[in-house]
Amino acid sequence: ETKWDMPTPYGDGNFHTQNIAAFADEVKEKTGGSLVIQIHSAGSLFKHPEIKNAVRKGLAPIGEVLVSRLSNEDPVFGVDSVPFLAPSYDQAWKLYQAAKPAMEEKLGEQGLQLLYSVPWPPQGVYAQKEVKEVGDLSGLKIRAYNAATERLAILAGGVTAQIEAPDIPTAFSTGRVDAMITSPSTGANSKAWDFVSHYHDTQAWLPKNMVFVNKDAFDALSDDEKAAVLEAAELAEKRGWEASKVETKTKTQVLADNGITVVQPSSQLIQDLAAIGETMAAEWQAQAGDAGAAILEAYKK
Amino acid sequence: MDLSVIALLLGLGMLAALATGIWVAVALFSVALAAMFFLVSVPAGTVMATTVWGAANSWDLTALPMFIWMGEILFRSRLSEDMFAGLSPWMRNLPGRLLHVNILGCGIFAAVSGSSAATTATIGRMSLPELRQRGYDERMAIGTLAGSGTLGLLIPPSIILIVYGAATEQSIARLFMAGVLPGAMLCVLFMGYVAIWALLNRQKMPEQEETMPVQEKLWATLRLLPVIGLIVGIIGSIYAGLASPTEAAAIGVMLSLLLSWASGTLNRTSFVDALMGATRTSCMIAFILAGAAFLTVAMGYTGIPRELAAWIGSMNLSPYALLIALTLFFVVLGCFLDGISVVVLTTSVILPMVEQAGMDLIWFGIYLVLVVEMSQITPPVGFNLFVLQGMTGHNIFKVAKMALPFFLLMILAIVLIVAFPGLALWLPQAMQGG
Amino acid sequence: MRKALNTLYKAATALAACCLLVIATLVALQVLGRIADYLMTAGGFEPLRFQVPSLAEIAGFLLVGASFLALAGTLRNNDHIRVNMLLQAVPAGAARLLNIWVIAIALVLAAFFTWNAAQLALDSYKFNETSYGVIPVPLVYPQAVMTLGLLVFAISLLDDLIVALMGRAPSFETVVKADPIEGKE
Ligand code: NA
Ligand code: NA
Repeated sequence: ETKWDMPTPYGDGNFHTQNIAAFADEVKEKTGGSLVIQIHSAGSLFKHPEIKNAVRKGLAPIGEVLVSRLSNEDPVFGVDSVPFLAPSYDQAWKLYQAAKPAMEEKLGEQGLQLLYSVPWPPQGVYAQKEVKEVGDLSGLKIRAYNAATERLAILAGGVTAQIEAPDIPTAFSTGRVDAMITSPSTGANSKAWDFVSHYHDTQAWLPKNMVFVNKDAFDALSDDEKAAVLEAAELAEKRGWEASKVETKTKTQVLADNGITVVQPSSQLIQDLAAIGETMAAEWQAQAGDAGAAILEAYKK
Repeated sequence: MDLSVIALLLGLGMLAALATGIWVAVALFSVALAAMFFLVSVPAGTVMATTVWGAANSWDLTALPMFIWMGEILFRSRLSEDMFAGLSPWMRNLPGRLLHVNILGCGIFAAVSGSSAATTATIGRMSLPELRQRGYDERMAIGTLAGSGTLGLLIPPSIILIVYGAATEQSIARLFMAGVLPGAMLCVLFMGYVAIWALLNRQKMPEQEETMPVQEKLWATLRLLPVIGLIVGIIGSIYAGLASPTEAAAIGVMLSLLLSWASGTLNRTSFVDALMGATRTSCMIAFILAGAAFLTVAMGYTGIPRELAAWIGSMNLSPYALLIALTLFFVVLGCFLDGISVVVLTTSVILPMVEQAGMDLIWFGIYLVLVVEMSQITPPVGFNLFVLQGMTGHNIFKVAKMALPFFLLMILAIVLIVAFPGLALWLPQAMQGG
Repeated sequence: MRKALNTLYKAATALAACCLLVIATLVALQVLGRIADYLMTAGGFEPLRFQVPSLAEIAGFLLVGASFLALAGTLRNNDHIRVNMLLQAVPAGAARLLNIWVIAIALVLAAFFTWNAAQLALDSYKFNETSYGVIPVPLVYPQAVMTLGLLVFAISLLDDLIVALMGRAPSFETVVKADPIEGKE
């Protein structure tokens, strides 16, 4: 019997973690209990920044991370966070397929193998007033947590504010930040109605999590076990994408039920944001070089 | 070998290592390494380096050395002397007199600091010398400090509630609200105990000071202005949106330097001494925290806490019996592991039981904080004990004995929030309504 | 030799203190920037929008420097916590042996730790690991500082081990503290 420790960054209630739990159950069932995956959720074994390297070094055979966490390492991992490049589930799927070979190659260079990837709900704009055009964001303090979100805030005419996740409620209620871009899940889980009034369903981008294995650990499995893991992964990917869509609906509803005004963005706002998106896509491509150009070409086909 | 036997051996190993005089941090690392070498087949050294790196480079942790530094600066200024002189005439009729400063001071400081070690270190640096000089019973001076230092975890902001909120997807703002009343209740319990103790042990209290004429009393009160200014400055910087709670710690350092300068106690020597003192104290705590983080991961690999918690779950207890079992479990584990680690390691197993028993997850978060607070003052691994040993030279077991009454009062607090869940839930519910 | 070693410990601890000083300064600058923007906006001027980039991550890295570079200095000032009830209860000869045991264990750990921290830094260098935030800081730098701190710690333990083996009192046993709240055992 083989036991795999699996560090994951998010809590047990999160739909990504629940999907992983189902994946682990399926692996156990398909292998007749010869491969058991022990999930260590909420960063309880390794914290989010350490998970990728822990798997690379074989400290854990399998793990999950937010793909764009690796974007400072290689721009290829940042393509799903280019705003307005793929603003829907269908487009996000297409972009994922276009980027997958490059992602697999980059992971392969580190002895890692991609198993599957599932998106978060689309990112929307949370603010304390309705935003009708990008001009309304000008001068607002917008939360930025990496290079891409900082660039976006600047292009939108805002002031960037670096706010750590647990500090968000305090930062809003004390005025250190006026707006943030995140998913309805994160908004609902942090009870965003306590500190903002409007949610704009801009579908700016669909960041993804990915589950990956250490190649050596995978190769050490029997052929039957390998097949079981790959099958379970394929199912988990399908199930995860559907779960993500359901999550978007239910969590948007939760926001509305608690008194947040859910705004369908005006055509002006969409147009303004798309222009920013084009700038950032071009910048991303310049950064990502040939690999980036190939991804965008495959995506636009 | 049976997991409980292994757990027992590791616990005994830790006690033996500490008894022979091995440094606490070194003992934590050694026990964790032993567990990894014998029980797990991953490279222990690589895990150690990775884990310690991840735990040591932490933004939230930067508040700790800043607050310790602030305490060192204030200790070298006249501020604490002024504070005690200003409070003294007002508290002369309250049984326990200036001992209450420890409790109230920690309660107020807990409103800016999310950690119990930082609260204990900062307030203790200021109050212990004053209390000693004024002839207060050392056992009570240290005991009150050890107990009320843990309020840093319960009164918002709180590191442990952030960890719990992230793991369980509960609103951190609501958890913070839920901690306010139980925190105040704990303050009242501690103060009540001090008052009763003082009435029963009059011979151990210092001589009563002369009564002052009103004018002199008011004059003495003016000496409170600097400390009030400091508190308003730090808390105000957070609520005015000028600083995050973590940043407020550095504001505390700057304001303390300013006060120290204004009172004429800031010079090259006092500045360097305070900074070097803070550097060494925070190094000591950070090294132990690193050891505790590695031990946590080692325990995560071995699965011991998880299996023990699952064993409790398998007993199918009634809600009250479950709470009693969990409390015992946390107290025992909390002796050897850092309290926050225990929460991190066992939430996945415990939360389903708790939900099935129909308990509110916000309420349970507050219950957990109380148990984690207790683990800060149980030997051998309790961070308030380490801070106080560093400050007073009394060994952790002696400090733990001084803190025992406050440990028992925390158990009483748990009984009270079980009996009256509204203590934790009323404020967050009122917030939801509003 | 003695002089060179003492200088090494002092220099490392001083660097650690500088890390704390820099953290406080960076945060203060960030807050001053916010205050300035408040005032500028209130006065009807364009805000400066001053930001200390990646403050949280950089402060975290500086904290690693502060914690690890001070290890040796903290040891020699007897500020690392340990329980010395047994040491004080046994005869002097046994206490000497106990101290040798304690230092030896710590030295083995520190050496093992130094080696693994060096591997960590080397690996980050090989794989070009960077931080996640706005400024991609190569992780090899702060990790090398961590390794350096551990190395100095290991050296100081070796130093004390030799001293103890030669029958003299190790550094942390000779510290006299003029601290008014120091308790007695
Ligand atoms: Na607090
Ligand atoms: Na404890």
